Amino acid sequence: MALLKVGGLSKSFGGVTAISDLDFEVPEGQVYSVIGPNGAGKTTLFNMLSGIYTPDEGSIRFRDREIVGRLPHKVAELGVSRTFQNLQMFFNMSVLDNVKVGCHLRTKSRLWNSALRLPGTRREEKQAELWAREALHFCGLDKYLQLDADALPYGVLKRLEIARALAASPKLLLMDEPAAGLNDTETKEMRKLIRRISDAGITVLLVEHNMGLVMEVSDRILVIDYGSRLAEGSPTEIQNNPRVIEAYLGGEIEYAV
Amino acid sequence: MSYLRGFYLLTAAALLLPLVFPDNYYVTVVGVTAALHAILAVSLNLLMGYAGQISLGHAGFFGIGAYASAILTTRYGWNPWPAILAGLVLTGIIAFALARPILRLKGHYLAMATLGLGIIINIVLVQTGELTGGPDGLGGIPTLSLFGWNVNSDLRWYIVIVCVMLLVVWLALNIINSRSGRALRALHGSEVAAEMMGINTTATKTGVFVLAALIASLAGSLFAYQQSFVSPDSFSFFFSIELVTMVVLGGMASTYGAIMGAVILTFLPELLVVFEEYEVMIFGAILMLMMIFLPQGLFVGIQSLLRRVGRNRSELAGPDTGEPEESGRGAA
Amino acid sequence: MFDQILQFVLTGITVGATYALVALGFAIIFNASDVVNFSQGEFVMIGAMSTIAFSAGEGLPLWLAAVGAVLLAICVGMMLQRFAIAPARGASVVTTIIITIGASIFLRGVALLLWGKDIFGMPHFSGEQPIQIGEATLLPQNLWVMGGAAVLVLGVHYFFNYTTNGKAILACSCNRTAAHLVGINVSMMMLIAYGLSALLGSLAGILVAPITFTSYDAGVMLGLKGFSAAILGGMGNPMGAVAGGLLLGLIESLAAGLISSGYKDAIGFIILLLVLFLRPSGIFGKASTERV
Repeated sequence: MALLKVGGLSKSFGGVTAISDLDFEVPEGQVYSVIGPNGAGKTTLFNMLSGIYTPDEGSIRFRDREIVGRLPHKVAELGVSRTFQNLQMFFNMSVLDNVKVGCHLRTKSRLWNSALRLPGTRREEKQAELWAREALHFCGLDKYLQLDADALPYGVLKRLEIARALAASPKLLLMDEPAAGLNDTETKEMRKLIRRISDAGITVLLVEHNMGLVMEVSDRILVIDYGSRLAEGSPTEIQNNPRVIEAYLGGEIEYAV
Repeated sequence: MSYLRGFYLLTAAALLLPLVFPDNYYVTVVGVTAALHAILAVSLNLLMGYAGQISLGHAGFFGIGAYASAILTTRYGWNPWPAILAGLVLTGIIAFALARPILRLKGHYLAMATLGLGIIINIVLVQTGELTGGPDGLGGIPTLSLFGWNVNSDLRWYIVIVCVMLLVVWLALNIINSRSGRALRALHGSEVAAEMMGINTTATKTGVFVLAALIASLAGSLFAYQQSFVSPDSFSFFFSIELVTMVVLGGMASTYGAIMGAVILTFLPELLVVFEEYEVMIFGAILMLMMIFLPQGLFVGIQSLLRRVGRNRSELAGPDTGEPEESGRGAA
Repeated sequence: MFDQILQFVLTGITVGATYALVALGFAIIFNASDVVNFSQGEFVMIGAMSTIAFSAGEGLPLWLAAVGAVLLAICVGMMLQRFAIAPARGASVVTTIIITIGASIFLRGVALLLWGKDIFGMPHFSGEQPIQIGEATLLPQNLWVMGGAAVLVLGVHYFFNYTTNGKAILACSCNRTAAHLVGINVSMMMLIAYGLSALLGSLAGILVAPITFTSYDAGVMLGLKGFSAAILGGMGNPMGAVAGGLLLGLIESLAAGLISSGYKDAIGFIILLLVLFLRPSGIFGKASTERV
């Protein structure tokens, strides 16, 4: 069953088309990757899926609910979470607090309850801490718990963003280039992490440039170029698709791992 | 909870001071002003330090509270307590109505808009003379009384205002260390990521703007009753800027820092009086030097200095288990 | 009615020309160093007060006193950059704002020490014989203000578009590191920017002082208006700042004449707020979008 259904999606910026008439479906429980050359419109697509941009045309249905027209925090309420290509960390907070923000939707305390420290909020606070620690543990970040976010190296921050997104307990996780800027060891760890996220029953929509990683973790791959669909299929099908080879990689595909 | 440890210390210190120095001018007169400034700085810090929304018009809300109380008690014979409430309601309505359009602005534009708002409020106070007494101000404001206990001496005012300050500090600390407080800091850190975590950033900004305005309004009412006289000068944009200075001087995103900034900026002019005509110049120089050498603010600066010393020592003694008293830190 | 409005417009342009110069100074410093300089108004005060001090006090001819005052202001501007702004590089925007507020209080303190709280006047540059335009009148000094401002604005425009130093400052504002890499002496460019900004402010002060009088705290209000004008035009756009200044001067003058002089500042700010509500980046500012 499709968790996410995108139909006839188009978006242009000042006459420049970023996405045009794109259709695809993300089946539940899979790792679904979107690849394409730089400027193919991948991040624009993510920004529409998460409610940051409003598409010019088309629909995005998530578990049979329309995403188009919802603000990002309303999209998040539906069970969509994401990471960012350029880190969007809360650098003014500790690692633990960063991930606790991820629990925002799973907790309810309002400003006044918190201000008066009513018993319910204290209980909830403990619960949030538990969830946050769980998410940090899941991403292998236990030892950074008490540090400030701005004291962490880049590779750790990449995983911290994922931990924060996971703390929201999403149905769908949008990952925008999780391996960008990582070294080989870190990329390997990232691959394992994506697998584990998928094994935990979370559907993953992945945008990534590292072809080795994409081919390894994906169940299905969508190739876009100039905002349109070029091909779609399993990693093997994509690797052998002549159109992809020609348009995307200029003839030769090298799968460095 | 660990974040309240510093609060107990503050409470003890604030209540002990008048016992040790009962008739000291610096405790019961300047101290009251410092506590009042601390209330304002702590509320502004919620908005500015934590949520990252600069406001150069905070004195305006302070003024609305003060004048609402002053006018209702002197011209319409209201009891001071409902007058405070009326001030809060009025402030709340104005702040709520303006929060959305104003907080859509960012950075310098937000600074300008809030500055303008503060000045507009001040001009209205000056120009509506039949009601406010205009530039000459409004006197004869009655004092507060609490079940027959008249707040009519410096010491009593110290007790009332310090207690309100402690209450405000307690509320602020609770908020900062809660879900709502994290939402505030998150929208400061990255608005788009905060939205993606399900935080309604518009509502959160509106909420903290209104809350900060309400606290300022309460402080204004207390100020009016304590002084028994108000004039527009106390609510000018200079004072707004002074409040921002308190927050930044102490250290953004630190409640104790805001208190420290308020205390320093209240006492400094008192102490600099001995320099007579050099006073203004020295004040400006001190302000500049402190910000150049401790850009993160005094409290945060001193805290990290102590931590560094503590770390050196604990490296000899064993692992460092100390945890900061407040989870909020200075924002870059 | 028409003549009256003409009168308000003429007054408004004069005031607006002063605002424009201060706003231009704001925009130059903001563009060069991302600093909102709250001590901008003090340059205006320094220009006017020290011209009076040099001419009335020391007996120099007015033009020579003015030259001295401008040079003094430029020195102050450069010292501000060198000793207060440069050491705090990397500090947050609000921190630098507080530093400039500190500088402004300091400069006001020095002025208070030197000249006291008295209000000073300055002789008009070329007589006080009013010029008749229809039913409206204009003082020669108004022409000095308008003409002076026009020359300065054109000069700044030329400087940034046709001279190497001007372009180098623009390069620093776009990308400091890249500017440094192509061999631009960044710290020198910063000094020039602050010096230029001080020059504009002090000249504005000198030009307008015969009309408005001056005192040690005259810079506060003008600095504030300059900031408003720069924001109205759109921070980061120097010519927008000039337009913002003229516009603000006109609005205030018309509001004072047609509605109420007590509310003229309030009306100016209300219009500013409305403009910002409709265009959050000012009239000529470009909306910036955050890339995620």
